[in-house]
Amino acid sequence: MRYPRRIGQLAAAALLVATSLTACGGDDGANANAPKAPADIPELTKDPLTLSFIWFDWPPAKALEAFANAEYTKERSNVTIKVNVVPNANWHDAMFTQFAAHKTDFDIPILDSQHIGEAVTNGNILDITDFVKKNIDVNAYNPYLLAAYGQFPQAETGQRDENASLYGLPLLGDTWTMIYRKDLIGDTPPATWDEMIAAAQKCQTENPGVSGLAFHQANGSDAAAVTYNTVNGVYGGNLWDSKARKIEGVINDAAGQEAMDVLVNKMKPLTAAGSGNWFIDEVNAAVAQGKACIAFNWIAASGGLLDPEQSTLGKTRDEILGKLGFATLPKQKTDLVPLGGMGMHVSAYSSPEKQAEALNFMKWFEQADIQKKWAAAGGVPARTDALSSPEFLNAGPFNKVYADSVSRMRDMWNVPEYARLIDIENTNVNAALNGAKPPKDALNDIAKEQQAVLDSAGKKGGGGL
Amino acid sequence: MSDPVSLTDHPVQEASATPPAPGRSRHLSDRWLTVAFISPALLLLLAMSVFPLLWALYLSFTDYSATRGGPATFVWFENFTAILTSAQVHMRAFTTLLYVVGAVTLQTVLGFSIAYLISRRVRGRGVLTTLFLVPMMLSPVVVGLFWRFMLDAQFGVINSMLGSIGLGQVEWLTKQNTALISLIVVDTWQWTPFIMLIALAGLTAVPKYLYEAASIDRASEWFRFRTITLPLVWPLLLIAVLFRAIEAFRLFDLVYILTSGGPGVSTETLSFHVYKVAFLGFNTGTASAYGILMVLIVIVLAQLYMRYLNKLKED
Repeated sequence: MRYPRRIGQLAAAALLVATSLTACGGDDGANANAPKAPADIPELTKDPLTLSFIWFDWPPAKALEAFANAEYTKERSNVTIKVNVVPNANWHDAMFTQFAAHKTDFDIPILDSQHIGEAVTNGNILDITDFVKKNIDVNAYNPYLLAAYGQFPQAETGQRDENASLYGLPLLGDTWTMIYRKDLIGDTPPATWDEMIAAAQKCQTENPGVSGLAFHQANGSDAAAVTYNTVNGVYGGNLWDSKARKIEGVINDAAGQEAMDVLVNKMKPLTAAGSGNWFIDEVNAAVAQGKACIAFNWIAASGGLLDPEQSTLGKTRDEILGKLGFATLPKQKTDLVPLGGMGMHVSAYSSPEKQAEALNFMKWFEQADIQKKWAAAGGVPARTDALSSPEFLNAGPFNKVYADSVSRMRDMWNVPEYARLIDIENTNVNAALNGAKPPKDALNDIAKEQQAVLDSAGKKGGGGL
Repeated sequence: MSDPVSLTDHPVQEASATPPAPGRSRHLSDRWLTVAFISPALLLLLAMSVFPLLWALYLSFTDYSATRGGPATFVWFENFTAILTSAQVHMRAFTTLLYVVGAVTLQTVLGFSIAYLISRRVRGRGVLTTLFLVPMMLSPVVVGLFWRFMLDAQFGVINSMLGSIGLGQVEWLTKQNTALISLIVVDTWQWTPFIMLIALAGLTAVPKYLYEAASIDRASEWFRFRTITLPLVWPLLLIAVLFRAIEAFRLFDLVYILTSGGPGVSTETLSFHVYKVAFLGFNTGTASAYGILMVLIVIVLAQLYMRYLNKLKED
């Protein structure tokens, strides 16, 4: 039995050598800064090419693939557009695990606005500042929309820093819309948050089997966190002091506590039993089945509500529209609404010819007439001229809601630690909404844990717990 | 021409003197042939299991992050200390413990009971066994998804059935006290057949003459179960319990699909927490240390358990 033992020893030694060599080699190309894209689009290939996107699975992803294959191929017949989709909860992981491998099967990652910081810091996407200067009419956009979907470091709410670098361009604008039952609460939507809660309460009492409210409460993705952040904004709260990187004492100040109290003690009792894990689809299902008086959802996900095949509210679109109304969010102490939507970026790990094609696609997509066509195809554009165009405003009853909300938008933190910050907020708000934690404790825990994450930058060992 | 007498007299010596079969290289000895056959599997094992384990072990002593990149700086035991002293980890460990004890106990009792009942049947035993095995053959993600629909408080069939007999709605997946129970029930539905299968194998192997002898002595049913059936099936059952406990300890998929760890973090297991540390913050060093600690816990507990099993065997 001497021989097998020798083989074992040799294998172990080889393995250790391999491990040591790999370990000593370290990381090969980790960049602290994103690589720069050229100002001019390089020569495009004439060979067949598939330009791949990555997004999460929802109606706009299908709309984008259909639209781009129908329109972009008129200009570039050798190109096929493929929009790869993953479940919403896996969206961040699906992109960043590939970024970690320094090899992506997508060329254009569609990042949430808050993902930009992480991707830029890790050098995962191209810096397109020079490309934008040369090829994009930045004056055609609301400055904040351009900043929210592309700028890093993050812009102040409502502003754009023209000296900051750009890493993406808007693909799909979005915000929350209030969906209300005109046949149950009347044609005029509630104007304030208090009025909205009172109307929901009255509607629930008068209509057994119909809950007053439906909104996102799940602890996956950013569901419950966006709900709290929205109420926080409306009640005059702040998520953080970005300059001082301070969360403790800011999110859980008096306004923040009031927002949490309103959410848990006034809004939650008006929701359906077991709705504590609802997200986009569940809220839409409740509205379509006539089970909610007032609901809140992302505009880009609301198209299905008007489909008679998915709704019990009417046999035609007009019949459904006779019962459903769409309005901007009610105001209270402020008129802030959540910024949704995403920008498109270029993977730093794509081949040069695909990066060139991606830049060409972005230039093509941001043209005025294409943005209007995108609006007519079901997309939500970001160019001001497209937002006020009849193509957009007539494409859906909720599109005017978006156009009216642009100046009211507020985003979350766009920092490399975003994924952990959102998880902390999601789980704690979800715990408060489902009775697993008192609301005040939940908010204080959010403040304490998020502050610890921001403060732990540079700490050695045990990060991420 | 060979001598027939010598063949009969020294058959062994003659056989060993036979030259190698035509076509086999003179240099390819049995020893090298063995190495050649074993090498592919060994290399695969080294590449897919041993190397990642050693690599994770190395990373566990560093502050490496897969996305942030840069050199991995040694932090020695700081990751381990942080994990072992973290209140967040203690909470997940307690949840995991509750889950493992609840699920494995329920599965063992049910699995053995079903196996015992099936073993007493003569007709339809094969069909029944096959039917009971169906849940085990399904993907945990599929199981999680259809149980999620069935347990939905508003539209689920379970609450609909409860409503039809006059019971109120239960929030199976969104309340702290029911979410973990729901996870245990779903896991039990899927994995009770595993215990049942092993218990059935043990019950079938019990010699019939023991029962016949007991019948002659007019032993009661309970006496026969207690003194013949249980002692003979017990060691096999304990091995099934070991397998199930290890599986349950690293539960991830059902939590991910059914509750996402909620409400709050009340159903987050250790594996789910490792996933978050590894892929939300991409703290690869900490996640590696976390994983290594989990492996160590399983190894130590399994060793203790195996010692108990051996002692049982010796007794």
